[in-house]
Amino acid sequence: MKKRLIVAALALSLVASACGGDDDDNNAAPDAQSGPTTTAAPVRGGTIVVAISSDPGSLNPAVTSNGGVHTASEMMFNGLVGWGADGKPTPELAESWTIEGNGTAYNFKLRPGVKWHDGRDFTSDDVKFSFERALLRLHSRTQASLGSAQVALETPNPTTVIFRFPNPYAPLLQQLNVTEAPIIPKHIYEGCTDLATVAGCPANKTPVGTGPFKLESYTVQEIKMVRNPTYFRAGQPYLDGMTQRVIPDPGTQLLALENREIDWVGSVPGPDIERVKANRALGTATSPRGSGGGNCTTTMIFNMKPPEGRTPFFADLRTRQAVWHAINREQAFRTVSFGQGKVSAAPINSGITFATATGLNLPTFDANRSKTLLDQAGWKDEGGGARTARGVANVPDGTRFEIDWHGFAGDQTTYGEQIRSQLTAVGITLQVKTEDNATFSRNVFAQRQFDTGVASYCNGDDPEIGFRRQVDSRQISTTAFSNGAGYSNPDVDRLLDTASREPDPAKRTPIYRQLQEQLVRDLPYVWLTESAGLRAFNASCTGFNHENTGLFAEAASCKK
Amino acid sequence: MNRRYVLRRLLQVLPAVASILIVTFAVVQAAPGDPVVAVAGESGNEEYYAFMREKFGLDRPVVEQFWTYATNVLRGDMGVSFVQGQEVVSLILERVPATLLLMGSALLVSTVGGVALGALAARRPFGPFDLGLSTGALIGYALPSFWLAQLAMLTIAFRTGWFPIQGMTDARADYSGLAHYLDIARHLVLPSLVLAASEVALITRIARTGILAEMDSDYVRVAQAKGLSSTGALVHHALRNALLPVVTVVGTRIGFLFSGAVLVETVFGWPGLGRLVLSAAQTRDHPLLLGMVLVVAFSLVLSNLLTDLLYARVDPRIRYR
Repeated sequence: MKKRLIVAALALSLVASACGGDDDDNNAAPDAQSGPTTTAAPVRGGTIVVAISSDPGSLNPAVTSNGGVHTASEMMFNGLVGWGADGKPTPELAESWTIEGNGTAYNFKLRPGVKWHDGRDFTSDDVKFSFERALLRLHSRTQASLGSAQVALETPNPTTVIFRFPNPYAPLLQQLNVTEAPIIPKHIYEGCTDLATVAGCPANKTPVGTGPFKLESYTVQEIKMVRNPTYFRAGQPYLDGMTQRVIPDPGTQLLALENREIDWVGSVPGPDIERVKANRALGTATSPRGSGGGNCTTTMIFNMKPPEGRTPFFADLRTRQAVWHAINREQAFRTVSFGQGKVSAAPINSGITFATATGLNLPTFDANRSKTLLDQAGWKDEGGGARTARGVANVPDGTRFEIDWHGFAGDQTTYGEQIRSQLTAVGITLQVKTEDNATFSRNVFAQRQFDTGVASYCNGDDPEIGFRRQVDSRQISTTAFSNGAGYSNPDVDRLLDTASREPDPAKRTPIYRQLQEQLVRDLPYVWLTESAGLRAFNASCTGFNHENTGLFAEAASCKK
Repeated sequence: MNRRYVLRRLLQVLPAVASILIVTFAVVQAAPGDPVVAVAGESGNEEYYAFMREKFGLDRPVVEQFWTYATNVLRGDMGVSFVQGQEVVSLILERVPATLLLMGSALLVSTVGGVALGALAARRPFGPFDLGLSTGALIGYALPSFWLAQLAMLTIAFRTGWFPIQGMTDARADYSGLAHYLDIARHLVLPSLVLAASEVALITRIARTGILAEMDSDYVRVAQAKGLSSTGALVHHALRNALLPVVTVVGTRIGFLFSGAVLVETVFGWPGLGRLVLSAAQTRDHPLLLGMVLVVAFSLVLSNLLTDLLYARVDPRIRYR
């Protein structure tokens, strides 16, 4: 048995390398995968049924960063550059590239002979169109990052695209995959990229891309896709088709998988993890990526800048330190996350290996230290529950330390409950408020009517993508999931700018270290947990790329 | 049937639906959360928000927004979904058949099943069957449908393997013709049974009480005295009168059935209206939400009218003027 597994694994790795090496080693962590998952040579044929949580309404990923739309459509599209497990860019629609002028210009050579699903040729015009008309205007993350870097695109010939920046721009290659920058055909979407026409565009429901699968039908119940026979990676995809079934309830998704009605579930609910792992008919894989982006950190937000009339509980560093010391992050993590992911050790997610810092001096769980700090800040324990303000700056005497916690239903609320009981021990009363996205975004970001909140900040593969917005003072705005703390430090802004203009990752590392040391001194947030999702799938299917969210089934195959 | 009565009742539909619309519009406006932010997703900026507000007319005064909406609805235009960018009418029509099928079969199962069980229980009141059924009905009525749904999946579907857990058709097979309809029927069994559960319980109780009351009346005793068996007296005489309260209840339960369908459809991944309501509420998709309320309110008012008309059919003594 063992011998057969090794031979099979060898065969798979040969195929993977023969196909351009996009299917890099899935096992970033040794225990990341279990079950017989990467051990069979690819079988041609078959259809895989994948659960999705909602009917996305549109299958055009270039005009939105909405997670539902992306999950459902990315298999039909490509980016210029994909990414491997090691965070290294891999060729996708771009065959090769050179970086010029210290990072002020990127010259991409496009893969020749690539066809759109309708048979037309893919050219540099499509790239220019995708960026200028769609991505830089309508894809919020790309608009925020590349847009504010003032990128300009040039297309000297049909197979060359040059990105030019006024200042050196380091993280471009991490922002060109199908999630951050899917490329769409100009001839299909030309009439559909104005703000006024984009939502109702008929092509949103009949997408044309370059991806491994193309659309067959889209109904209320499911999205059916079939193999793209002219896909540019020869031989791929191995599957004849992929069906995405809309199953809103996560519990039902899992039961349907166990009942063999479907083959793939993107995220297993915490309480079911043990059961799934024990099921030999199912394979599992841990991945730090989900539809909302990769490398997400569940983060508690202190409102350091409340609006007029609201008590500034956290303007004083000592109260923020006190909360840090009062919280037992390990215990909360064990209780809430069922062992998925890990406790954060740095402000920047550890998935961005070149940027995250190690050995930072984060405050540890110490309730006595917390009480002392609260006393020093003027929050006195006068008995009867919450502490009372006596001489706290900008807080009227007699104010109780009673704060709220805003978060989504599910894990975020459970974290709130955990932290509530931990804070009660030091004399802080926390009220957990469960909200949906629209309400949360209004209370926390648009109106800043909150004391603390919790959000999942997805860092992506470069601090520029999803981390910067959290601490950059220029991103204190009504925009959802921006700088929610209202944290402002000119040194931090300066370090962010310097790091973004340094093209050499090795030289960016010390800058980000300095930045994170400053953040640990200021503590605008509590970085709680780096989340990871557990995927579960039919064990007779193999070859998934768990690192490349969008094209996870490009090289997948199922035994008959 | 009295035509003038029907016409008058139909005219009453208008103010009823109009007032429901006003209330819903106000509630939707008062709900926290900005639809524009919900549409923008994880990020977006002020410029984008402002544009979308202008595009959807959300920057106009509320009264004006309502007036625009109301006049559009009168012209048959229910607007365009904020999130999906599609006509609300087509979004709803796409999903109506699935929900009608689910609700219709649940209604059929619960009415026929409930009356039959009620009749059986009434044969020997306070006997072991009646007591067992009454207890069962009480439990069935009290169980929340989403919980019952999961229980049905874990026990019936999972253990026996007879019924699928989700969807309306098999995700892998591509059936056509008769096989296609059988496939749908197989998928329909669990959700419709779960949806019917609390209705069966209610109707069983009502049918039982009604039949007992009728069986005790003079005309049934006369029939029995003339030599009719007790079953014969029940079927030929008592049942029709005992059905009156059942008809009333069934008619007024359509709304409850729909709210049950929202949950059942979500749990079973049934591609109907219920799921659309849920996502419309979550994303603050005002036109879609209002459109759904309008459709449901209209069908409720209509089903009440049908109940009244059916009433006269069952009991010829009832006349409407």
